[in-house]
Amino acid sequence: MIQVDNLTKKYGQHLALDSVNFTVGEGEILGFLGPNGAGKSTTMNILTGYISATDGHALINGIDILEQPEEAKKMIGYLPESPPLYGDMTVDEYLDFVSDIKRVTGTDRKKNRERIMDLVRIGDVRGRLIKNLSKGYKQRVGLAQALIGNPKVLIMDEPTVGLDPKQIIEIRNLIKDLGKDHTVILSSHILPEVSAVCERVIIINKGRIVASDTPENLSRGLGDSSKLNLRIAGEENLILKAIQEIDGINNLESLGVREPGTIDLIVEADPDVDIRRPLFHAMSKASCPILMMKSLDMTLEDIFLQVTTQEEEVR
Amino acid sequence: MVAIIKKEFLTYFKSMTGYVFMASLLFFVGLFFVTNNLLILNPQYSGVLSSSTFVFLLIVPVLTMRLMAEETRQKTDQLLLTSPVSLGRIVMGKYLGAVSVFLITLAITFIYPLILSTMGTIFWGEIIGGYIGFFLLGSALIAVGLFVSSLTDNQVIAAVATFTVLLVLWLMDAIIGSLPADQTSGLIFALILVAAIAFVFYSATRNLFVSGGVLLIGILAVAAGFIIKPSLYNGFIGRVFGWLALHSHYQDFAMGIFSLTPIVYYITFSTVFLYLTVRMLEKKRWS
Repeated sequence: MIQVDNLTKKYGQHLALDSVNFTVGEGEILGFLGPNGAGKSTTMNILTGYISATDGHALINGIDILEQPEEAKKMIGYLPESPPLYGDMTVDEYLDFVSDIKRVTGTDRKKNRERIMDLVRIGDVRGRLIKNLSKGYKQRVGLAQALIGNPKVLIMDEPTVGLDPKQIIEIRNLIKDLGKDHTVILSSHILPEVSAVCERVIIINKGRIVASDTPENLSRGLGDSSKLNLRIAGEENLILKAIQEIDGINNLESLGVREPGTIDLIVEADPDVDIRRPLFHAMSKASCPILMMKSLDMTLEDIFLQVTTQEEEVR
Repeated sequence: MVAIIKKEFLTYFKSMTGYVFMASLLFFVGLFFVTNNLLILNPQYSGVLSSSTFVFLLIVPVLTMRLMAEETRQKTDQLLLTSPVSLGRIVMGKYLGAVSVFLITLAITFIYPLILSTMGTIFWGEIIGGYIGFFLLGSALIAVGLFVSSLTDNQVIAAVATFTVLLVLWLMDAIIGSLPADQTSGLIFALILVAAIAFVFYSATRNLFVSGGVLLIGILAVAAGFIIKPSLYNGFIGRVFGWLALHSHYQDFAMGIFSLTPIVYYITFSTVFLYLTVRMLEKKRWS
């Protein structure tokens, strides 16, 4: 659906995007992840035809955004970083204007608009001036704008910024639903969001793609050990000694006493060894009850930090 | 495009801008109507319009300052530029939106000649010709304002810059009078012009070869012109700047002469500035 070849963008001497390649399949939800200034917005602005790439191509459904901009733009709904709203229009007027410039015609034009307003829940503010709306409503009006005309491709730059937690969940669910019959690209620097919504994640840093996979594969592939966080009641020396006797333990770290009469530990083992059962039996034998056992898988945060800092070290 | 015209037109009347523009134009035209016609019982109406042309200096910036600058500042240009609408249509839509406000205001002032006609015989041809000229002059200045507005994202800067440009255009006749008119300075000016064109070529294409060729051909053409007909360069500077003397082209209309030349001139002038605005937007995408 979307194909990007060797996309490069220079701002003067500054290289904002460096030969970026990726494809997005139909109905896929792709997440762009990266620190501020990594090139997420630049990529999106090029894909939507707002700015032009210095080099490379961006194809939307096989149509080059530079060569046939009007054809390509018809298929895209774009929610930029700051929603492009006209403050002195009412929500109704605004969406009417957007329908006009997106050339939504015919009888279902009004129906389409009503459906979108229901979807993002802005029906109750339809008659109000956009400048008087709260940030959350503005963001949702911006989202409605992107949905007008039912475009095949939805590109959203940080769609949940400025929303409260309840709205964030609503919008995430909405994006998931939209992903069923739209191709969605969204960017974020909020990692749980990306892992909650996206089927595939592209991590980009300093204008380059540093990782691209499903959130699950990313967290599995990059972890080089499995960690457990434990809280065990009993005497420290006894516990440490018992644990060290278990096979496959690489590292043992005591976190000290958090609860009287117990100690907190972090146990590291080889990734392919499950030490939870041997651990239980060992503790049971030593009659030290395990009060808490929590797996410390690599979160997307860790991966993100690792990938973006590794990049730095390589250079 | 119609959507953008409609949006621009309605936006003018959601803030004070549209009302300020209309009120100022109506006030001055009305004032000159009272002083030139009513008080001295004079049936010559075209003088009212030509006296009112100075009002453009003040009200055209009000009308045009917002057009592109505010879109850039609010980042709503992202909506326009990512919609399936070409740049040309966006610019044209904005231009016609502003022009329609002007046209409606002008239509209201048509009451004055109607009032005059109840009191005696008036020359309709002259009045309609005057209106066409006034409209074309205003529209050309709006095109200039639109272009200036696309250069900045600050309305105030756009307004001040537009005012300055319009003032220079207004004073152009006086400026031309003080420019040197001899052959040598004409020749030098022609060469400077050629160099400037070559430079524009270079900055647009970054191709040293093509722009060098343009420079060479230009110099040869200027030299050939000088050898074949040196008198070509008499008052050359004045003639070039004369192209920018918008207000002097209005004289025909003011005197009641209806000729095609100034009409074509004004339309060309507007088109050039609309084209420059499109180029400016295009350039922003590439930088």
